[in-house]
Amino acid sequence: MADLLSTQLLFAALVTGALYGLTALGLNLVYGTMRLLNIAHGEFVMLGAFAAFWAFTLADIPPLVALPFIVLLTAAAGLAIYRGLFRGLLRNPRLAERIESNSLLLFFGLSIVLQNVAAALFTATPRALPYLDSIIRIGDLGMATDRLATLIIAASVALAIVLFLRFNLLGLAIKALIQNREATQIVGIDVEKIQRTSFALGFGLAGLAGGLVSMLGQITPFMGFPYTITAFVVIILGGLGNLGGGLIAGLLLGILETYGVALTSTNYRSILIYGVFILILVIRPQGLLGGRRIAR
Amino acid sequence: MTLLVLEHVGIRFGGLKALDDVSLLVAAGEIVGIMGANGAGKTTLFSLIAGHQKPGSGRILFDGRNIAGLRPDAINRRGIARTFQIVRPFRSMTVRENVMIGALFGTGTDETLAAAQIDATRILEEVGLAAEADLPAGALTLAGQKRLEIARALATRPRLLLLDEVMAGLTPTEVAAARDMIRRLHKDHALTILIIEHVMTALMELGRRIVVLHHGLKIAEGTPDEIAASPLVQEAYLGQPAA
Amino acid sequence: MTGPRASSLAIYFAAAAAMALLPFLAGTYYLGVGLALLSWIALAQSWVLLSGMTGYISLGHAMFYGLGGYLTVLTWQQWPLWISLPAAGFAAAVAALLLGWPVLRVRGPYFVILTYGLAELMKFVVIDIEAKLGKFGRLLMGAPSLETLYWIMLALALVATLATYLVRRSRFGAGLRAIRENEEAAETLGVPVVRFKLFAFAASAFIPGIVGGTMALRTAYFEPFQAFNPVVSFTIVVMAMIGGSDDAPGPILGALLLVVLQELLWVNAPELYLIILGLALIGFVLFVPDGLHGRLSRKRHGSDGRSRERPREHPA
Repeated sequence: MADLLSTQLLFAALVTGALYGLTALGLNLVYGTMRLLNIAHGEFVMLGAFAAFWAFTLADIPPLVALPFIVLLTAAAGLAIYRGLFRGLLRNPRLAERIESNSLLLFFGLSIVLQNVAAALFTATPRALPYLDSIIRIGDLGMATDRLATLIIAASVALAIVLFLRFNLLGLAIKALIQNREATQIVGIDVEKIQRTSFALGFGLAGLAGGLVSMLGQITPFMGFPYTITAFVVIILGGLGNLGGGLIAGLLLGILETYGVALTSTNYRSILIYGVFILILVIRPQGLLGGRRIAR
Repeated sequence: MTLLVLEHVGIRFGGLKALDDVSLLVAAGEIVGIMGANGAGKTTLFSLIAGHQKPGSGRILFDGRNIAGLRPDAINRRGIARTFQIVRPFRSMTVRENVMIGALFGTGTDETLAAAQIDATRILEEVGLAAEADLPAGALTLAGQKRLEIARALATRPRLLLLDEVMAGLTPTEVAAARDMIRRLHKDHALTILIIEHVMTALMELGRRIVVLHHGLKIAEGTPDEIAASPLVQEAYLGQPAA
Repeated sequence: MTGPRASSLAIYFAAAAAMALLPFLAGTYYLGVGLALLSWIALAQSWVLLSGMTGYISLGHAMFYGLGGYLTVLTWQQWPLWISLPAAGFAAAVAALLLGWPVLRVRGPYFVILTYGLAELMKFVVIDIEAKLGKFGRLLMGAPSLETLYWIMLALALVATLATYLVRRSRFGAGLRAIRENEEAAETLGVPVVRFKLFAFAASAFIPGIVGGTMALRTAYFEPFQAFNPVVSFTIVVMAMIGGSDDAPGPILGALLLVVLQELLWVNAPELYLIILGLALIGFVLFVPDGLHGRLSRKRHGSDGRSRERPREHPA
């Protein structure tokens, strides 16, 4: 058990937090713009991880190089789901109502399907991706290169997206849609296009996280779900639809988990995360940082 | 005999005082109209009486007992029923089944579904929905759904009925019919009625006493004639004192 | 709300009789399948008591199943079965009461995720307790015979089905359905919403607790990952969605279909089985939200010229 005040532990917490923030950002984008609770989000992390694995194993492409393509892949998958499943179905008002009130069950079904398709295709044997295994030492701090890369890339992407949402016209439109759907339509913004973009962005971010994660741990068809749960905990902690809040909450949860596990043991990781989850949902469902009640 | 007493009732939402020091006495058998611009606090008043919210200050006495803080179902069992401004029918149930819920659960509850069915059918006839009794509630027109709201509330055998803008969206003919129905129900069921309305003619005709709310304050109370003549009310509505 | 049709009751009796005859006619293998079928019927009926009636969709019912199993295993060979099994049920019901108080204040999709999270939390807590006790899976010696367990499960399935049937036609059931349609309006009409939800929650936990205990005895082995497996929760939901979650025949239909599917696929292609389940969930939620029984009964009522109920929307 590492010394609690060590920079080593802090580094681990930051890496975890950055990853959580990233996955939560993707989930929040999809939820904020379309009010869909994508409980299959983790499966796209898993797909991203597998994509990285196969690229590396079959074509010798290093994960960092493959990352942009993985992002495009999952973003395209997101677009396909949007076009195929939602745009078609949302046209029918009866179905639209059912989708919105049942999006959780629908995506749950999707996640089961994806997990088992992956298991059928790839088998459940855990895979690992030995890459960037070296360690950089700065004084007392030993940073695994793959974790360092993850931290840097995740943080940069998160920053890039925050800037995009703030300064880019399309980004601002996304924020507008999240805050007030009707007003956005009235001022003449192409809501359709924004939804498409958010979907693609959200799923792309999941793939990105998957590509990064592929370097860090084991890759199995069932690895996605813990990421989904943590993403949910984070977005609820930060307030549903609150993109910035999600990033902060991601960091917080990463810190909580890392230090919590250090204080107790790795067995407690799940208990910690689910415990926080339940507490927040019951005590303060609008999240620590969420102001308005966006959903209900 | 005084049925409902509001003593210095107030409630805040964030920084906004939705109701500010409102006091009111309602005698049994009265029909009291509540009027005011949007946001004046009328529906909030009903919310407080019916138990959907707790007043921040003041007391609400029904039949001499304080009801502030009780849950809505407990308040209903004491004898207060309300309709909602935006109708809330049980869409997948039939019209009759909707009313049966009121009969099964209000005061003096029916214990069996059969008894509730009989009561519901009777009430539907009084309200003019007998023909639609077996239709799904979602299939009614707006006017029909508003009647259903009233029928459901009536089925709980209340002594005090809170009607929240039941005439909104109705044609003049429908308004007249609703007004007559309310008069009839008031007499037949010995009800005390508090009625919020924007449709002035109906409000003035039904209410023997009118209360005017403005920005959460009670600014006037009196007979319809007194209210119509009140310069205070005119200023609140029209923005300048009458010449 | 019409009275029972003679044909429906006849079907119920025939089905019950068929299941009662099974031990005398079938070999061990099919008796086992029958046991599984009955267990799913009991679970799905109990789930419908809560989630079908009130619309609060629980994705965590495995927690009651696992809890009951755990308790039965802990008291094995210390308490006689006729005490430990009902105790397992009561423990599950009490857990539901305690958990329900904060949890039932949460609505819609939050409730769904919350129940899922609770089940997972319970799983990991039990894993931790077992690890501290030095147990990694428990073997049960001298478990009752398959036939004994079969009779127990038959009783459970009958009780659960009867419960759903009666509740659906009772004042309590009417109140629950009003909650499902519009909780605020129901409360305004005097329905004691808090009390009813809690009671439905506890009632829906009782039988699954006993089923969990019985199944632990069937496998003669307890392991938290299996006992609290989310696939159990998921399967219950799919059964009710496919079969229908509004009345007693629904879960029976759903359980039957799924057990048949399981028999065909589980041994050789478990992934395919789950894929089909996932697709079925998606398909039925979108296109047949009443489930098969709901569709069938709507068609029947329609042709009678009686109430044409619109399909009920699931507020998941």
